Amino acid sequence: MSPNPSPASAITVVSRDPEREEDRRPLTLALLRRLFSFTRPYRGKRNWLFVLTMLRGAQLVAMAWALATAIHAVCDPANAGDGRVVWMAALGYGGVALLTCFTFHFRQRLALELGESVVHDLRGLLFGHLLRQPMSFFHRWKLGRVLSRVTSDVDLVRQGVQETVFVAIVQLGQGLWAAAVMLWYDQVLFAVVFALVPIVHWLNMRFRASLSRSWRVVQESFSRVTATVAESVNGIRVTQGFARQEINGGLFRALVEDHGRFNMDQARTSALYVPLLEFKTQLWIAILMVLGGWRALNHDVSVDTLLHFFFQANLLFGSMLALGNIYTQALSAMAGAERVFKLIDTEPEWQDAPDARPLPPISGRVVFDRVCFSYEPGRPVLQDLSFVAEAGQTIALVGHTGSGKSSIINLIAKFYQPDSGTLTIDGHDIRAVTGDSLHRQMGIVLQVNFLFTGSVLENIRVGKPDATDAQIIAAARALDCLDLLEALPDGLNTVVGEKGAGISLGQRQLVCFTRAMLADPRILILDEATSSVDGLTEARLQRALAVLLKGRTSFVVAHRLSTIRHADQVLVLDHGRLIERGTHVDLLTQGGIYAGLYRQFITTGAGQ
Amino acid sequence: MADAAPAVAAATVKDGAVIRRLLAFAWSYRGPCIAVLVIQCVLIALGLSGLHYSGLYIDYLHHLMKEAKAPAWPMGVAPPADWPALAVVGAIGGGVLVMAGTRGVLNYVYSIMIQRLLNLRVVPALRAQVYDKLQRLSFAFFDANGSGSLINRVTGDVQLLRSFIDGVLLHGVIMTVSLTAYLVLMARTNVGLTIACLATTPLLYLASATFTRWVGPMYQKNRELQDRLIGRLSESVQGIHVVKGFARESEERALFAAINAEVRDQQRRIFWRVSLFTPAMEMLTQLNLVILLGYGGWLAIEGRLSTGELFVFSGLLQQFSGQVSSLAGIANTVQQSLIGAKRVFEILDAPVAVETRPDPVTPAQVRGAVRFERVSFGYKPDEPVLHDIDLDVKPGSCIAVLGATGSGKTTLMNLIPRFYDPTAGRVLIDGVDARDLEVDALRRSIGLVFQESFLFSNTIAANIAFGHPEASREQIVHAATIAAAHRFICELPKGYDTVLGESGVNLSGGQRQRLAIARAVLLEPSILLLDDPTAAIDPQTEHEILEAMDNAIAGRTTFIVAHRLSTLRRADLVIVLEKGRIVERGTHDELMRAGGHYLKAAELQVSDPESLRALDAARPGAVA
Repeated sequence: MSPNPSPASAITVVSRDPEREEDRRPLTLALLRRLFSFTRPYRGKRNWLFVLTMLRGAQLVAMAWALATAIHAVCDPANAGDGRVVWMAALGYGGVALLTCFTFHFRQRLALELGESVVHDLRGLLFGHLLRQPMSFFHRWKLGRVLSRVTSDVDLVRQGVQETVFVAIVQLGQGLWAAAVMLWYDQVLFAVVFALVPIVHWLNMRFRASLSRSWRVVQESFSRVTATVAESVNGIRVTQGFARQEINGGLFRALVEDHGRFNMDQARTSALYVPLLEFKTQLWIAILMVLGGWRALNHDVSVDTLLHFFFQANLLFGSMLALGNIYTQALSAMAGAERVFKLIDTEPEWQDAPDARPLPPISGRVVFDRVCFSYEPGRPVLQDLSFVAEAGQTIALVGHTGSGKSSIINLIAKFYQPDSGTLTIDGHDIRAVTGDSLHRQMGIVLQVNFLFTGSVLENIRVGKPDATDAQIIAAARALDCLDLLEALPDGLNTVVGEKGAGISLGQRQLVCFTRAMLADPRILILDEATSSVDGLTEARLQRALAVLLKGRTSFVVAHRLSTIRHADQVLVLDHGRLIERGTHVDLLTQGGIYAGLYRQFITTGAGQ
Repeated sequence: MADAAPAVAAATVKDGAVIRRLLAFAWSYRGPCIAVLVIQCVLIALGLSGLHYSGLYIDYLHHLMKEAKAPAWPMGVAPPADWPALAVVGAIGGGVLVMAGTRGVLNYVYSIMIQRLLNLRVVPALRAQVYDKLQRLSFAFFDANGSGSLINRVTGDVQLLRSFIDGVLLHGVIMTVSLTAYLVLMARTNVGLTIACLATTPLLYLASATFTRWVGPMYQKNRELQDRLIGRLSESVQGIHVVKGFARESEERALFAAINAEVRDQQRRIFWRVSLFTPAMEMLTQLNLVILLGYGGWLAIEGRLSTGELFVFSGLLQQFSGQVSSLAGIANTVQQSLIGAKRVFEILDAPVAVETRPDPVTPAQVRGAVRFERVSFGYKPDEPVLHDIDLDVKPGSCIAVLGATGSGKTTLMNLIPRFYDPTAGRVLIDGVDARDLEVDALRRSIGLVFQESFLFSNTIAANIAFGHPEASREQIVHAATIAAAHRFICELPKGYDTVLGESGVNLSGGQRQRLAIARAVLLEPSILLLDDPTAAIDPQTEHEILEAMDNAIAGRTTFIVAHRLSTLRRADLVIVLEKGRIVERGTHDELMRAGGHYLKAAELQVSDPESLRALDAARPGAVA
């Protein structure tokens, strides 16, 4: 196995995905049945496939039989000069071949389509299931893990459906029919073939096992190479800044040389087994020549029997090799299917109560009453929190990292549920209303200022999918930021998002503000970005923010002094407890913890 | 910075030039390549003899059993007439076996040789070379090219390039040799039959070439659709708070379903074509056999072709057709390898902006005097980013740089460790032009902390010791202590050996920045560059890193890009940049009095009189 290099001798340490440890699963009936149930909507196709695959197994054998018979017919000196035999041989074989190809078309197309349909359904199911999960799920599940379920694991299932089952049927049929034909022609020669079967099987299995071991080592080492390159590219400033090029170059060279050696191990396996498996065919031909020749010379068998054996034995061996591959493939498909089903079976930790009702239009009075909350049992994040936010008030949340500010907005947004205590909006317990109806009266702007790949216009429209362009422009104008958005390279049609062109931090924030403005929510949740933008933009942002907050109940995790200063209430939190509350001026006058905090980060005075 | 754009221009390079370069590259591996080719020729010869012996065997058997004419022994060497038939049969069988054995051994040797060449020589050397070069390119190059594309140069594109050696050159030669051999042997058996049977071969080639062109764009489209599907999924997960927060689940589901269905429908169209093509190709191959049976059968029945010959001929024909249909594959590989090669060469050819000059000055000890003399700089010659910067900084003083986005703050900092060279004027370190200093020595005497600190997925200790991997644990702990990071590191489950980036270890922005500061001070640099280190940190948590910064700054020449007053007030000198010029300079107090840009920027942060009064009321005299 490949040892993971020690941290000191690596640029990047790669840890394994524990769920991917098991890349094989034994075939279990329950899993198979469940996988099979996904083909039910397409059972017409599926049943046809069964018929076609069985037919094809027999057809392949029939083709070989027809070929041997035809060759024998044209070569038999007894038929010398008989042109009709030639015609019949050629046309007979051609006919069988045509039929086989015809079957092949349908068997291939139907299998591919069936697999794709199942995958399509699975992906849709997975996506729907993901969206039903509460926020806590996304906290636990990293994006990469979700993606690998929906991509590589689903693809394993696709292979399972498209190939494994149906190819197995074809190959099994082919092997059995070939055996039957050989048995029919000569038992002695068949006995020899039969004796070779375990050897071939053993060789093949050894080969597969050894190959898959080394394959895994290669994969792991390759993921180290990729991860190292990725971090080297992303961390290029650090590397050059600390003059680490030489050292990194040396480490990387060692890494790729190691990778080459692992590849070599794998190549050695193939280099040994592939000729061995090929040699087996030659061995069989030699045996057929000597033993068959002897029997032919003794007139125990006819020459055309030897011909049949020549073709049919290869079909039998071929089907064994194929079945071996398919078995390995099936195990991987099972492992993939199991991981997919495990995700599908992850019940949402909580859902809207079954009797939850839609929230009627609200004015926006939010009351926390002795609310306790924790992300993990035993580690309380909010303790016994009570406060009232009157409709239309701006509430600034202040405190150190980890004091519980974000948890409060998570609860109001019903991303999480309180462990105890009640949270009511206009007197409705948040547990008794549907999340959807709540969110329709709520707007959210978080620190990351997330934008989807798409135009600025589309990103704003997320706030209200049926909004016209005019409404969007009106929202931007209301925030007095239309000119800044129109100043983008393509104006409001500028494509932004991950791959989007340069849109500054300030402009990102403005897009998110406008999105919330368009939604025109009764309750607004705002987690201010920490990154500072230049003074001019900052002034515009502050003005826009004032408009956005006006007339709505707003909860702001505040980083701007101006926001805090204008808040109707400042809630000061420490370790999940509300330690001070009041207006900015009240709290300063009290000279408590808030006043200390405030002094700490303004450190003002001298210049004024 | 993105506008510097030395971006991908692969399409403009001529194919001919690339092919010449690839040939030269392959020529440097000529020894093993020629050895491999020789082995392959022997293998082809052995394979053909094996086939020939099988034919001989059939004819001999026919001769004995059905009084067909005696076989033509190769090179006129007939077995002694007194040998019993079984001995001859056994000898031929044995011969076939010996040849197969030899083939097996040679095949093994061949695979090992070629894999050694590729896996142990060509690919590692290329990868290391590309990686080395990549690490020396300017930041502008990285900003202009997506990281995904750059990663691919080292991984996938290198493999594509090397496929020119094995997939194009070697494969091409082997194929030419074997096709010629097959053709000659077939023609020697019967010219008419050869022509008749090969009549369908061009069809085979055409079909597979057409298919590639016919389905290629569909696969391309399919990949794009798949990318969109994955993109949508990953954005829905990353932006889940937006989706849920605006109750957009049903819209998202509908969008995803639409793309999902589009993927399926596109796949179906591909499947249709694939399942037309594969059986059609099979039928074409079978057609060959039918012709062989018909025409060859007629020849046999007329007695002009022996059974053995027919058998050998069919074997040759099958191998010939097999090779021809893979010809289209080679054409494809040529294209792919050229694309890969261009992308790799582009990295290898990219100019390194900054290099140590031949006989550099290696400073024994950098004191930290930094002087900008009429420095101008632009990423593109006609778009200057800095104009005429003059600045004289004494060792140990702290300079704060303030300015709007794009005013040139980061660029100014980048000139000190020579990430770029000025287009006019010069930067002096301890009175020596930075261009005369050894680059690595210069950079080691400079500590850097960036806006968002990039930490590697490695242990905390390895991250702190990044600039000096041999650092002792004491040195690492010392640096961490200066950066006020020792305490929280000790609270982590594995302390300094905690691997970052693994599940469960989530450092806050402040903690990450403190590690970055520790990484910078480990080198005991005389110059410290802090590029807006508090940008990603909560103001209420900022004090955590202010202590670290104060410790780090002490005794070093420091340049710090900052917006917050808390930081600006610490500086000995504040310079305000606007459009690449220094528009104001002075201490915090001086600038506040001067009442320019600085005051305006400051006012947004500074407390209002009302707040001050309130504070004063609480603890009179607390605010001086």
